[in-house]
Amino acid sequence: MTPYLLRRFAYAIFVLWGALTIIFVTIRIVPGDPASMMLGAGATEEDVAALRHRLGLDEPLPVQYVQFLGDAIRLDFGNSLWLNRPVLSSIGERITATARLAVTAMAIALLVSFPLGILAALKKRTFIDGLVSVVSLLGQSVPSFWLGIMLILVFARQLRLLPSAGSDTWKHLVLPSVTLALPLIGVLTRLVRSGLLEVMYEDYIRTARAKGLDPRSVLVRHALRNMLIPVVTVAGLQLGNLLGGTVIVETVFGWPGIGRLLVDAIFNRDYPLVQAAILCITATFITINLIVDISYVYLDPRIRLQ
Amino acid sequence: MESPAQESGRRIYELVRRRREGTISRRAFVQAVTALGLSMPLAAMLERRGLAALQESAPSGEITIVLPRSLVALDPHGAQSVEEATAVISSHVFDTLVVRDAATGELQPRLATSWQAIDETTWEFKLREGVTWHDGTPFTSADVKASLERVQSLEGPLAPLWALVTEVQTPDDLTVIFKTSEPQGTIPVSAALFFVTPAAHSNDEGFFDNPIGIGPYKFVSWVRDSELRLEAIPDHWAGAPGVQTLVFRDIPEVSARVTALETGEIDFTFGLPADQLPALAENSELRIDSTPSYAYYFNWFNCSREPFTDARVRRAMAHALDLDTIVNDLLQGVGVRAQAPIPSTIFGFAPQTPYEYDPEKAKALLAEAGLENGFETHVIWNPGSGPQDRELVQAMISYWAEIGVTVESREMERAAWLDALLALDWDMDFQTNTVRTGDADFTLRRLYVSSANRTGYANPELDTILVEAAAAADPARRQELYAQACKIIWDDAVGIFPFELLENYVYRTRLTDFVPTPSAVPVFTSVKIAE
Repeated sequence: MTPYLLRRFAYAIFVLWGALTIIFVTIRIVPGDPASMMLGAGATEEDVAALRHRLGLDEPLPVQYVQFLGDAIRLDFGNSLWLNRPVLSSIGERITATARLAVTAMAIALLVSFPLGILAALKKRTFIDGLVSVVSLLGQSVPSFWLGIMLILVFARQLRLLPSAGSDTWKHLVLPSVTLALPLIGVLTRLVRSGLLEVMYEDYIRTARAKGLDPRSVLVRHALRNMLIPVVTVAGLQLGNLLGGTVIVETVFGWPGIGRLLVDAIFNRDYPLVQAAILCITATFITINLIVDISYVYLDPRIRLQ
Repeated sequence: MESPAQESGRRIYELVRRRREGTISRRAFVQAVTALGLSMPLAAMLERRGLAALQESAPSGEITIVLPRSLVALDPHGAQSVEEATAVISSHVFDTLVVRDAATGELQPRLATSWQAIDETTWEFKLREGVTWHDGTPFTSADVKASLERVQSLEGPLAPLWALVTEVQTPDDLTVIFKTSEPQGTIPVSAALFFVTPAAHSNDEGFFDNPIGIGPYKFVSWVRDSELRLEAIPDHWAGAPGVQTLVFRDIPEVSARVTALETGEIDFTFGLPADQLPALAENSELRIDSTPSYAYYFNWFNCSREPFTDARVRRAMAHALDLDTIVNDLLQGVGVRAQAPIPSTIFGFAPQTPYEYDPEKAKALLAEAGLENGFETHVIWNPGSGPQDRELVQAMISYWAEIGVTVESREMERAAWLDALLALDWDMDFQTNTVRTGDADFTLRRLYVSSANRTGYANPELDTILVEAAAAADPARRQELYAQACKIIWDDAVGIFPFELLENYVYRTRLTDFVPTPSAVPVFTSVKIAE
């Protein structure tokens, strides 16, 4: 497995470099300038020019790019222009909050979608199956900003059970993670259902049944394990998305996550912060993909990592 | 007739007030109150803690406040120094030399007890005696000097206010002298925005993540984008604050913020959109204090671009708008019609003759300028700059269409808009603006002197007036000069100045004694919690 990992590592470095280069170029192509954003509408041209010089923004782009890559290799991302503090500490705080939310949402989604999907598959083409399909379709199609605000109205404003915004206690975690989990439940339930229906007609299931195994162990040991690969793949990708920040839900619930930080950084043209945040999000995504790939080996012994 | 006891009470009160303002010395104060029959210990206590010492005044309770925009940094000198969120926290943790009274608009003593222009280029501030930082270190002139130098070296948005200061002298611990390269009458005004931070620590790494302050509240903790906590200083020199703990929470989404206010999760917020206010006004658990602010809308013309080089065209555009109807339809409770190029709350404000809504006159003016068939132009604007901005742009565009002027709306993201604005790459610009210092100089000189070249408008007469107004130390003379400047900018229609904005502070009725301020930087020191 070691050569495989080395190759994956090299590939990861390449992807990171690509992501960094694209973000380096795009954020500089769009109109707007960090120095004038920092100084505001009242600044004179000389003020802006002086600040650009101090920040090194008046250097030619290739010079800035080489400088930036050199710093990135040493993991030196410098100070945020807008927050005036090291970008890594800002990102560290935010990514922890985001991870808390993402992992909770994913856990809720898995805990709900597996039973629902199995139920729907076992009761195929009954009323229950239809109900589960409708619910999962709704979960997928309801926009999260609407759902979030509705949950606030019902659970915070009417019932006064949960706080409307903030991130201090587990109570604050409930509404945003449910908001994020619902679309995932939609996707995963459908995957579990269709995956299970597919394997149920495979020969080995028939064999298992013919051996006289009880239906429960046919389901758990033979069927479920074999339909896990697409579910793990999709769940992994979705977890990567969640860890990349969920701007809308973070904004609605006042959650201090990385998505809001990144958007604010972009609006403020805070080049160092945007670059480091993108790097972090890309690295997270790559790591999760790698974990998903490695998990295939354990889920399906026929797969060997080449 | 006053009884002798009432008479002495009044005199003691008066003495305490004068002592607070620093107009009498500590010794004279103690002598005067002991002469009125107070014991020495009581006199000393009054000296130290003011009238608060006589009241049942221990701070108590906790209130939760949500500011309209997230707090980004606590450093009151750097890039965030004009952000309202930063200023609100700084007003509690740090302090300024002088403060603009929220109710009267006058400059009042704070860390400085008195100030005067010694000559044309020298301002002297006498500092308050016996003030200490929250770690017990005495406050001295060295702190003021270091803070000012920090403002200058960080080159933030406040730095231009102090650009003419060439030297800060500290002849003794309680005297600071600002030397300027040219006469500058606005130094005391600028001092109201200038927060003093401790000389010994301000440049320490991470100091502003856990600052040592000097204000009525001390810093306790801050979790970014979540919650910041402050605790009252019970024996603060200006008296004990009413509330023990101030919690500032971050809830960016308006509906979540309104819900939190209605359910009592939070006690205080402001800067809500106009459409939220009617429902909140009907809620008997809430109170709304509506007050004229330092903020206003303007629609500038690029006076260096055809056809706006012609003042008749600019005036025609102004006569085309039915501003009273727009205010009624769109700005109920959040704005009123403006009467000058600066809001009525600003020092230097002088009301002007309104441009009447008169489409016929507007068309006649256009015809005079050779544009009887109208023309095409555009307006740049940045969404979110003020209340109902999109609706206002649409309303103005439809009024202008009626006089034959086709205006394209160019909505831009803030950074892109700022680029275009500063490059003078636009025909018209619609935006809000805030006169941070509460003084006309901040807006008029910065934006309208020819050398600033912000609107393409150049008028040597106006330049002379604005430069003299900035230099003059005499407030009456400055007022007179700004009245002239307001008239020129208004009559030449460098822009249309349609609306000034109101600030609506919304809070739960359990809070009392809040003093609304036009600056959008509310201070909670006076607030108490009703039983």
